[in-house]
Order: sequence, then structure tokens, then C-alpha cells
Amino acid sequence: MSGYRFERLKVLVVDDNVHMRRLVVTILQAFGVHHVYEAGSGESAWEILREHNPDILVLDWMMEGTSGIDMVRMIRVNPQSPNPFVPIIMLTGHTSLEHVQQARDAGANEFIAKPVSVKTMMSRLASVIEQPRPYVRTNGYFGPCRRRRQNEHKGAERRAAAKQAAE
Amino acid sequence: MGRQQPIELFMPPNMLKAKVGGSGGLDMAAIKRAESAMNGLKSTFSDMAGDAVTALVAAQKAYAAKADPASRGGLLRAAHDIKGLAGTFDFPLMGRVAGSLSRLVGEAPADKLLPVKLVEAHIAAVQAIHRKSITGMDDRVTLALLAELEAQVGAALKA
Repeated sequence: MSGYRFERLKVLVVDDNVHMRRLVVTILQAFGVHHVYEAGSGESAWEILREHNPDILVLDWMMEGTSGIDMVRMIRVNPQSPNPFVPIIMLTGHTSLEHVQQARDAGANEFIAKPVSVKTMMSRLASVIEQPRPYVRTNGYFGPCRRRRQNEHKGAERRAAAKQAAE
Repeated sequence: MGRQQPIELFMPPNMLKAKVGGSGGLDMAAIKRAESAMNGLKSTFSDMAGDAVTALVAAQKAYAAKADPASRGGLLRAAHDIKGLAGTFDFPLMGRVAGSLSRLVGEAPADKLLPVKLVEAHIAAVQAIHRKSITGMDDRVTLALLAELEAQVGAALKA
């Protein structure tokens, strides 16, 4: 049993499909999250981000106007971003490796492929709480470290100095 | 070999953990509550699907009236929505048909018109599954139709 005090969390759910949004909100409320904000567009989400500074975002990929991927990039690199470190769980019907990599490269922390299951939602929440990744800033990227496992990287190690600095 | 760019790596303080506490692992009581709440929503899926099918038909009509990136994007989003909703609410065949349509709209060359008959066949299949409330993966006729639609999409994307 986790014993998480979910009632202390503020979560923003962004999806332009009202039914999918309702599903995610229902799951979060059943978990005990009291403060659930909803947005039907990237523009509305940006306003809520600025006003309420949520702890976690659950964000749909495919939306009219500002897409979920555009939204992640804005949150991570826009100088006006209220919180570039906010954990983002990307929700999508895309399941190919290419799409997972695209979400990761934009700066999403976690990924949920539809169909949505309660256990997966809980697992991703636990992951952003228990296993936050370090953040990386390069000329072309800012966001959570994209190496999910310590032994994943096979190329030249460029991070020795940065790791020492972080320690 | 080019000059390598500097990388800054740092670990922000874990404010989330400080906020919610807990000992890790999955909260099974919360999972049961959420599954029960989700089952309650499943009973309303027919209405949700009705809205989604209406949106899909409207998107198809918009594309038929004016085939441009905006109307094609609308068609893709409508199909994608049904794919996600139907799969989540135990209508996997509807989700698979919508997924096949998503693949056609999303992967066919952007500078070519979509095959209208094939799009219409997908939409008719989604409407039929909704009308007959076909849950599960056992309906033989729909399975055969799905196989045919997926095959035709594969062929259209290779052409």
C-alpha cells in the first residue's frame, strides 16, 4: 500500500475530448485527488498553469490547435513557462516506438497508451513521485533525462563533468 | 569530429514526494475505487460513443465538402478519439476499426486525396458496431469486416 496523500496534489487534465477528460478526472478523483483542473485546449491549459501551478499534468497528444507535443515543448522551454519542471504524463492512442520517442524527445516524463487502465494511471503517478529523473539542458533540449536506464547509453559519455557538478 | 556541446545535468528537489509522502508501490484500495468508478462510466459509453460517431460523420462530411489539411486533421482526430474511447470502454472492435481509419488518414500521403469509399466503409462499420452494441472480440462478421478493412488500408498505403 502506497499511503500517498493524493488529496494534497493538484493535477491538470488536458484533452479536447470531453469524454476522455471525464474518464481521467474520474480515475484521479477516485484515487483521492481533490484538486483536478480541466482544460479542453492547450491555450486554456496554459492559463490554468499560470494561475494554479499544478503538480502534475496529464496531457493528450492529439488536440486541435496546440497539440500535446507542442504543449510539452512550450512548458519546458518557453521563458514564460510557469513551471518548466512540472511532471507531464502524455496520454495517447499512438503506440509506436517512434511516437514514444517523439514524446520523450519533447520532454514528457511518462507515457500512457490508450486504452487507459486504472493500474497504468496509478503506476505512472507512482513513477513521477518515486522515480523523478534528473533534468538535462543542452543546446537542443531541456527536460527530463531521456536515458531511462543507467546502462542504456552506448555512445561516448559526455556527462561526466555534468554529473560531478550535480553531485 | 565536431566540438561537443556542453550538457548540464541536475536533479531538482523532489517536491512531489515531500508533498504526498507514502511508501511507494501501488495503492490497491485506490485502484479498486477507481475501477469501480470507471465501471460506472462504462454504462454511459453508448451515449459517449453516439457523440463520437456523430463527430466522426461530421468530420467525414467536412472532408468530403473541402479536402484540406484542416478537414483531414479533423477526420484524424475524430477517428483517434473513438479508437481511444472504445478500447478503454470495452468496445475493442470499434476501437480497432477506428484505429484502422486513423492509420489510413494519418499515414496516407498528405498531398493525395483519401480513398473516399474506404473511409466511408470504416465509418459505416463504426456505426454498425455502435448500433448493435458489439462488445468483446467474438463477433465473426465484424471480425471479418475488420480484417478486410485493415487489408485494404494496407494496400492503399502501399499503392
